Amino acid sequence: MSTQVHANLTEEQVREISGNLDEPDWLLETRLEALEALETIDMPDVIRTPGRDWTNLHELDFETLVDPLNWAEEKDQVGPDDVEVLPWGEAVAEHEELLKEHFGSIVDPQENYLTALSTALFSTGTVIYVPEGVDAEDVTIRTEMNSRSLFNYTLVVTEESSSVTILERQSTGSDAVDGEKYYSAIVEVIAGENSSVQYGSLQNLSEDSYSFSCKRGDADTYATIDWIEGNIGTQLTKSEVSTELNGDGSETQIVGAFFGHDEQHFDLDVKVWHRAEHTTADLVTRGVTDDTARSVYEGVQDVGRDAWDTSSYQRENTLMLSDESEADASPKLIINNHDTEASHSATVGQIDQEDLLYMTSRGVSPRLARNMLVEGFFVPVMEEIAVDEFREDLEELIQQRLRG
Amino acid sequence: MSSDQDHLKETDTEARFEFKKEERSAVKSDKGLTEEVVRLISEDKDEPEWMLERRLRALKQYQAMPMPTDWPGQPDLTELDIEEIVPYIRPDVDKREGVDDWTELPEEIKDTFDKLGIPEAEKNALSGVGAQYESEVVYQNMQEQWEEKGVVFMNMDRAVQEHPELVKEYFMTTCVPPSDNKFAALHGAVWSGGSFVYVPEDVTVEMPVQAYFRMNSEGMGQFEHTLIVAEEGSEVHYIEGCSAPKYGTHNLHSGCVEVFVEEDAHVQYSTVQNWSKNTFNLNTKRAIVESNGKMEWVSGSMGSKATMLYPCTILKGRGATDTHITIAFAGEGQNIDTGAKVYHNAPDTSSTIESKSISKDGGRTNYRGLVHIADGAEGSSTAVECDALMFDNESTSDTMPYMEIEESKVDVAHEATVGKIGDEDIFYLQSRGLDDDDAKKMIVAGFIEPITEELPIEYAVELNRLIELEMEGSLG
Repeated sequence: MSTQVHANLTEEQVREISGNLDEPDWLLETRLEALEALETIDMPDVIRTPGRDWTNLHELDFETLVDPLNWAEEKDQVGPDDVEVLPWGEAVAEHEELLKEHFGSIVDPQENYLTALSTALFSTGTVIYVPEGVDAEDVTIRTEMNSRSLFNYTLVVTEESSSVTILERQSTGSDAVDGEKYYSAIVEVIAGENSSVQYGSLQNLSEDSYSFSCKRGDADTYATIDWIEGNIGTQLTKSEVSTELNGDGSETQIVGAFFGHDEQHFDLDVKVWHRAEHTTADLVTRGVTDDTARSVYEGVQDVGRDAWDTSSYQRENTLMLSDESEADASPKLIINNHDTEASHSATVGQIDQEDLLYMTSRGVSPRLARNMLVEGFFVPVMEEIAVDEFREDLEELIQQRLRG
Repeated sequence: MSSDQDHLKETDTEARFEFKKEERSAVKSDKGLTEEVVRLISEDKDEPEWMLERRLRALKQYQAMPMPTDWPGQPDLTELDIEEIVPYIRPDVDKREGVDDWTELPEEIKDTFDKLGIPEAEKNALSGVGAQYESEVVYQNMQEQWEEKGVVFMNMDRAVQEHPELVKEYFMTTCVPPSDNKFAALHGAVWSGGSFVYVPEDVTVEMPVQAYFRMNSEGMGQFEHTLIVAEEGSEVHYIEGCSAPKYGTHNLHSGCVEVFVEEDAHVQYSTVQNWSKNTFNLNTKRAIVESNGKMEWVSGSMGSKATMLYPCTILKGRGATDTHITIAFAGEGQNIDTGAKVYHNAPDTSSTIESKSISKDGGRTNYRGLVHIADGAEGSSTAVECDALMFDNESTSDTMPYMEIEESKVDVAHEATVGKIGDEDIFYLQSRGLDDDDAKKMIVAGFIEPITEELPIEYAVELNRLIELEMEGSLG
C-alpha cells in the first residue's frame, strides 16, 4: 500500500483521543485494534475495468492530510425534548450500554482501511436515541469543519414504533486551515421494529477537501430507513449509503443528488441487501457533471436466498453539461431468490437540444435556459425529498452552482 | 420446412449430443502446456517459422499471467487444471486439409456429423460448411458460386500456408493480441483448426456459412481460431455450433474469434453453444468495425460447466454499429458468465445489447458488460437491456453492467429486470388447456423469442428444442 498514513500514527494519539472523551476500555480497545489493522487491510473496493480504475484512492496523500489531535469544528446538535441528541462524550457517559450494543455492529470498524482509520481517530460525533413510540421531527446536526482533518461518528437508534427525521449538513468554516483537508464519517442507523428513520445528509465541504463516508442502516421488522444524500462539495468524495433489510416487511428508499464541476470526483455507492421476506427498496439518484468533473456510480441490489417476495428498484440518471466531464455507472443486480421483482436502469445524456432551442426561441437566454433545464432535471429527485428544509437547501446550492 | 422438421424429430434426443466415438488419433500431444507441446503442434502442421515464434511468445505471456480469480460471482476455475488437458489431437484422416465430400471421411466421423445433422443442413440452408473433429478440420466445402466471386472459406491451418500475408497481418495482432487475457495467450500458444473467411469487396454471401466444432475425446482442449475479414461493402453471416459428449473429467474449449468489418460491410456471427457439462468454455471474441460497418453477435449459451465469454466490438469508424443478442441458460451445476463489451471510439456510432438469461436447478447466470464511449465519440448512442428469468430459489442471477462515458453528446440507456415466471401467466395458459409444463415452456419460448427470430429458422428451431430438452423433467 502506497499510503502509509499509519506509519505516522501512534497508539498514544489514539489513547489521547479516547481519554479526552472518557471512553471505557472496550471502546479504546476497539480503536486500538482498528489502528493495528491499518497495517494489513485494504482501501475500499473501487471498480476496475480493463486498463482503468474508476477511483484512485491510493493517490491521496493521507500522511499530510491526517492530523488527528488538532481537530476543530463548529457543531450544532439540536432536537426536540423527547429525543436524546447527544454529543459523543455525553453519550459515552450516559449510554454506555447502548453504545456497547450498537457501536460497530453495522459498519465493521475493520471493513476497510478508511473505516478503520475513522474508527481509530474519530474525536467527535452524535448519538440520537429515540424512545419507544416517540415521533420526532427536526433533529439537526450541523458540522463546520475547521481543521486539517476531522473524523466524525454518528449513531442513530430508534426503539419500537418510533420515528425520527434527521438532517445533517457538513461544510467548511471560514476560519478553516488553508490547503487540502480530509473529512471522514461513519453513520450507523439501527431502526427498531416498526420504526421509521429519515436521514438527510447534505455535503458541501470546500473544494480542497477529500471526504470518505459510510452510512449504513439496519432495518428491523416493518422498519423503514430513508436516506437522502446530497453531494456538492469536496474535490474527491468516496461515499456509501446503504441499508440492510434484515426484518420482514422492512423498507428503504435511497435518494441521491450530486452536482460536480471543475475537477471534482464523486464516487457514490448505493447499496441495499434484502435479507428477509416482503422487503422493498427504491433507489433513485440523479446527478450533473460539468467542466472536467467525473462521477462514478455503483448501485447494488442484493437479494439473499431467503428474501422471498422482494421488490427492488433502482434508477440512476446523469446529465453531462461538459464534453470534458465523465460519467461512469454500474448498476448491479445480485439475485438469489426467484420470488423477486427487481429492475434497474441507468442513463447518461446531455441537455436535449430541442428543449434548448425551444426555450431560446422564446427569448430565454441560452445560459438561463440551460439552468432551467438542469433544475428541471433534478425535479424527480426533489419530489422524493419529503423534508422541505432539505429540499430548499439543496435547490439553493444547485442554483448557486449554476449561477457560479 | 417439413423436411427439416422430420430431420429434427429424428435427432432431437439427448443422445444426439451424448454419443461417444472410440478415440482414433494420428497425433496426440502430451498433457499440459510446455514448449515441447507447442513445438510439436507447429511441427506437425509444418508451420512457417513466424507462426512458431508467435506461439512461443504467447506461451511466455500465458505463463506470466495470473488466472482470473477475483471477479465477483465468476465461475470457479480452480477445478480446471491446464496440466491435465491434452491440447492437441489430430484426427486420423487421410487428407489433412479436409475433404469436400462427406463420404470420404472415416465412418465414425461421418456418422458423428450425420447425427448432428450437418450434411443435411448444408444441403438446405448454407453456403459453406466446415467441420472440425478434435483439433483439426476434417471437412470443408463451399458452393462454387462463392468461390468464383473470390470468397475464401478454408480451415485456418491451411490459411497459414496459403495466405501467409493476410494471416500475418490479421492473426492475433490488432484485434485480439495474446496479451489480452490469460486464455487468449493460451490460445495463441496451442491454437489449432478453425476457419478463415475472406469476403471480397461488395460481395454478399447470401446464405450463412457454418463451422461445427466437435470434441470427442476425454480430457482434451479445443482451441480453434476463427478469422473473418469482410472487405468494403461485403456481407456474410457466419454460424458456429459446438458440442461434445459428457465425460467425468474436464474438457477445455478456448477459442478465439477475430472479425474485421471494413467500411460499409456487414458481418453477423451466430453461435449455438452446447458443450457438455464437463467443459470449461473460455473464449475471446472481438470485432473491429470501420465506418458505417455493421457487426451483429447472436449467441445462445446452453452447455458447458462454466462459460466466460464477452464478445467485444470496437466501433472504430464513424457511423459503425453493433448489435449483441445473447441468451444464456444455466441448469444444475452450471455457471454461465457472459455479456458484451462495446468500445465507441468514433462519432455517430451506435450499439444495442439485448441479453436474456434463464437459471434453474441451482444454475447461475451472470451478465457482465462494458460500454465505453470515448471522448470525441459524439453523437453516439447505446441501449442495453438485460432480462433474467429464474425458475427456483436455488438459482442465482447477477447483472453487472459497467458504463464509462467520456463524451457528453451521447445517448446512453441501460435497463435490467429480474423476475420469476408469473403465476398469473401460467394460470392463464392452464385455463386455456395447457398443462403446467407446457405453459412454462411456452412462456420461456416467448421470453427468448427476440433471440430466436434473429437466427435462420433451422437454428431457431434447434435452440428452442435445446431449451425444451433442458427443461424436460425438471419442471413441476
